[in-house]
Amino acid sequence: MGLWDALLNWLRSLFFQQEMELSLIGLQNAGKTSLVNVIATGGYSEDMIPTVGFNMRKVTKGNVTIKLWDLGGQPRFRSMWERYCRAVSAIVYVVDAADHDNVSISRSEIHDLLSKPSLSGIPLLVLGNKIDKPGALSKQALTDQMDLKSITDREVCCYMISCKNSTNIDSVIDWLVKHSKSKS
Amino acid sequence: MISVVVSEMAQPLVKKDDDRDDEMDYSPFMGIEKGAVLQEARVFNDPQLDARRCSQVITKLLYLLNQGEAFTKVEATEVFFSVTKLFQSKDIGLRRMVYLIIKELSPSADEVIIVTSSLMKDMNSRTDMYRANAIRVLCRITDGTLLTQIERYLKQAIVDKNPVVASAALVSGIHLLQTNPEIVKRWSNEVQEAVQSRAALVQFHALALLHQIRQNDRLAVSKLVTSLTKGSVRSPLAQCLLIRYTSQVIRESGISQTGDRPFYDYLESCLRHKAEMVIFEAARAITELNGVTTRELTPAITVLQLFLSSSKPVLRFAAVRTLNKVAMTHPMAVTNCNIDMESLISDQNRSIATLAITTLLKTGNESSIDRLMKQITNFMSDIADEFKIVVVEAIRSLCLKFPLKYRSLMNFLSNILREEGGFEYKKAIVDSIVILIRDIPDAKEGGLLHLCEFIEDCEFTYLSTQILHFLGNEGPKTSDPSKYIRYIYNRVILENATVRASAVSTLAKFGALVDSLKPRIFVLLKRCLFDSDDEVRDRATLYLNTLGGDGAVVETDEEVKEFLFGSLDVPLTNLETSLKNYEPSEEPFDIYSVPKEVKSQPLAEKKAPGKKPTGLSAPPVAPTSTVDAYERLLSSIPEFATYGKLFKSSAPVELTEAETEYAVNVVKHIFDSHIVFQYNCANTIPEQLLENVSVIVDASEAEEFSEVASKPLKSLPYDTPGQTFVAFERPEGVPAVGKFSNTLRFIVKEVDPSTGEAEDDGVEDEYQLEDLEVVSADYMLKVGVSNFRNAWESLGADCEKIDEYGLGPMEGLTEAVNAVISLLGMQPCEGTEVVPSNSRSHTCLLSGLYIGNVKVLVRLSFGVGGPKEVAMKLAVRSEDISVSDAIHEIVASG
Repeated sequence: MGLWDALLNWLRSLFFQQEMELSLIGLQNAGKTSLVNVIATGGYSEDMIPTVGFNMRKVTKGNVTIKLWDLGGQPRFRSMWERYCRAVSAIVYVVDAADHDNVSISRSEIHDLLSKPSLSGIPLLVLGNKIDKPGALSKQALTDQMDLKSITDREVCCYMISCKNSTNIDSVIDWLVKHSKSKS
Repeated sequence: MISVVVSEMAQPLVKKDDDRDDEMDYSPFMGIEKGAVLQEARVFNDPQLDARRCSQVITKLLYLLNQGEAFTKVEATEVFFSVTKLFQSKDIGLRRMVYLIIKELSPSADEVIIVTSSLMKDMNSRTDMYRANAIRVLCRITDGTLLTQIERYLKQAIVDKNPVVASAALVSGIHLLQTNPEIVKRWSNEVQEAVQSRAALVQFHALALLHQIRQNDRLAVSKLVTSLTKGSVRSPLAQCLLIRYTSQVIRESGISQTGDRPFYDYLESCLRHKAEMVIFEAARAITELNGVTTRELTPAITVLQLFLSSSKPVLRFAAVRTLNKVAMTHPMAVTNCNIDMESLISDQNRSIATLAITTLLKTGNESSIDRLMKQITNFMSDIADEFKIVVVEAIRSLCLKFPLKYRSLMNFLSNILREEGGFEYKKAIVDSIVILIRDIPDAKEGGLLHLCEFIEDCEFTYLSTQILHFLGNEGPKTSDPSKYIRYIYNRVILENATVRASAVSTLAKFGALVDSLKPRIFVLLKRCLFDSDDEVRDRATLYLNTLGGDGAVVETDEEVKEFLFGSLDVPLTNLETSLKNYEPSEEPFDIYSVPKEVKSQPLAEKKAPGKKPTGLSAPPVAPTSTVDAYERLLSSIPEFATYGKLFKSSAPVELTEAETEYAVNVVKHIFDSHIVFQYNCANTIPEQLLENVSVIVDASEAEEFSEVASKPLKSLPYDTPGQTFVAFERPEGVPAVGKFSNTLRFIVKEVDPSTGEAEDDGVEDEYQLEDLEVVSADYMLKVGVSNFRNAWESLGADCEKIDEYGLGPMEGLTEAVNAVISLLGMQPCEGTEVVPSNSRSHTCLLSGLYIGNVKVLVRLSFGVGGPKEVAMKLAVRSEDISVSDAIHEIVASG
């Protein structure tokens, strides 16, 4: 019977297999590559090296295959974000909620990016990372400081997460999976 | 070899090219067009990738790039970023293509570092093909800062157990050594381990890299060779490299005390290696040894002889080419192979046949010449021009060796001159005939007629003018000069302006030397006055005037000849720059203002990379303009402006050790009755400012000099060189010599490095410099002559002085020649400063201009007497007998 079930599952996955493409951006050291690892394997490591360029990962959640473009956040790569955001299902923007000094840079970078005509209408998911750290911003404070209310031409959502403690990662995945369905 | 390996990928997944040969009429790349392919490249952005399709598009892109199609920066960048999307595919074939296209695009696209992270992931993947190729691509796109990040992985890869991965890392190291030497040098230990690898390819690449890392350190290379020649190198390619490195070490180390050549045994043992490649490399290395002896040569010649009858064309070619070179220096050693080589004359491969026959020409004796010539004539029409040139050169040297055979050889040359051929080939033939005419008196008349016939139908202006010039010098001295006139005048009627002009000059030379022809020449020259070209008319008018053809006052015979035949005594390049600098003005151009110094080629300096050139060691003035620059500098200083024209400026002489606090060098400027020392000073201490800098010169060991002026330097800040001058007077025209001791005197002020401001109070201080000598060579200007023999004869034997000197024990003739040249400071002529290795005697020709503008020519004959005793005969001719004596004095005292 187990075999039968497996066959059924396989058949079902053939019919309902969905694909989505995401690009993951944000300033350096915001936790983008860590987020990929948490989503893909659930593992977390303190010791990460900066991403030089981009990483490409494919993750399967339920019957959705997610292609993740994890882009480097150093200033020299920011001009190239746009190239990898064209025609994706959603843009995921990671912000270090505990790094108050850089929130304003983070704000201007995302507003610059969204002003590009090639990216109009693509849903934006803003993730405030590192809420496990003391002094991290609240969701309301982040929304205000990032001036997210001013973005009206697309769907915008904001979650506060911690990759280290896997806080709210499930909600993020749910949101993503939902958007892959609505897209197709 | 390396580049071939680089472009190879680990597994041959792409269809081999051979398949295409069967269907010659069809090419899959027919009609590929850039615009269309760039459109097709959009498939890279599809959400659902078709790996096969993408591979095809990349193939087309690669084809276009390799055909030399230019992609704009925007196009290349656009394609590059689309290609990066392909990293999502797991298809191995496609990934290979991605690597290839990234490598091709990396020079022209922007921001290629974006793939660094993906490549680093591949570099640590489990698929060996990914790892090897990712390393190669990564090293292509990386820069210095990123390299330090990935260095750890590269070091690991070098010692990887998979040979493809290890090779990829090693080859990348060879490339990176050009840009980031200090990083690659840190890998020495890993590379050394890789040299011991069992895989042939790894060993080969590791050895190449290890040698490149150490190549600037002679001792390290020598150690490397010593340890490896004991035999742990298995790869034949690596063995070949080792042989090359070994011969380099041999070249640099010379012969040991016992008379044995180090490492010769190793080379000889390689002659018995299994791989033909190694055998050949060793044989070639032996033949190229400096001053190789017959005993050393014999085993190498024996293996090459075996190769001559090999069934593989490449071995036959390699062997005969090497033997051809050996035949130039050791013809006797090659005679053993003559029989094998004669059978190669009919070899299907024309290159082999040509080399065989030219080798035979060099080794053959007088009796075999006619037979060989017959065979050459048969195949001359089958071979390419460059080989024909080889044959012509061989025949020229043969003719000089056997002057009695000149008739048949000259005939051969004139026959091939009439056939079709390119410029280089025709030039080689003409040059050969000219040389034969010059050296074999009997061949003169016949040779000149051959040349005359050639210019009747010659399409090369350069050759026509060259022959006409030569004809003008040699023709009038023949028994019947009148027979050449017709050929020359035909040129005036039939040719282009350049050739017509030189024909007019040639006619004038006949007119000047042959009185009986003069009236007829005048008639011809007068006709040239109506030529359509300015230059031709001008020349005709000029010559008619100088020769007195229009009844005007005839200048003296001597002057006419000097004007027509004399050589220009200024170097052409100097004349050219002077003319370019001349600005049209009231003042006419003065040919005497052209510097006569022959500029030596600036030596390509090998500097350790990354080392900042310090103040004085790299003078910013380009060598071509130094003389002009000095002259301008000195004439701008009022104290020295009255000294007259600058005769000579010496090269800078260092007065301090390298890396001292203050760096000083001096340039000696010689005037007619003065000498000016220009001290170039540099301050290398950032915390100091020097003021009132002067050099105190003690001339007590230079009695004939008296100090007349000194010009101190006001201030000398850190890293900004400045000059101070001291001038001496000396008896006019006398080449006084002497020794001067120098002390730098100055006021030191402390400088605050952070603000750059100096304190107000300074301390007086002195700094001892090294002594400076004024030697006889300072009064000699290096001035070359174009034709030494003509110049020698025109100076005449009146002011000639000949004497003989024993130079005592010397290492060799080269050392003796160099010593005398630097002692006299004269310009070697006609390449005679180079002593052929192993020769027992040598003649060296020098020319120069002595102070007072006296032309001096020197002929030095060296000979080796007893054990390393060198004797020299010195013949000096000059315009002034006292100068000739002075030269002898220099040598006698030096």
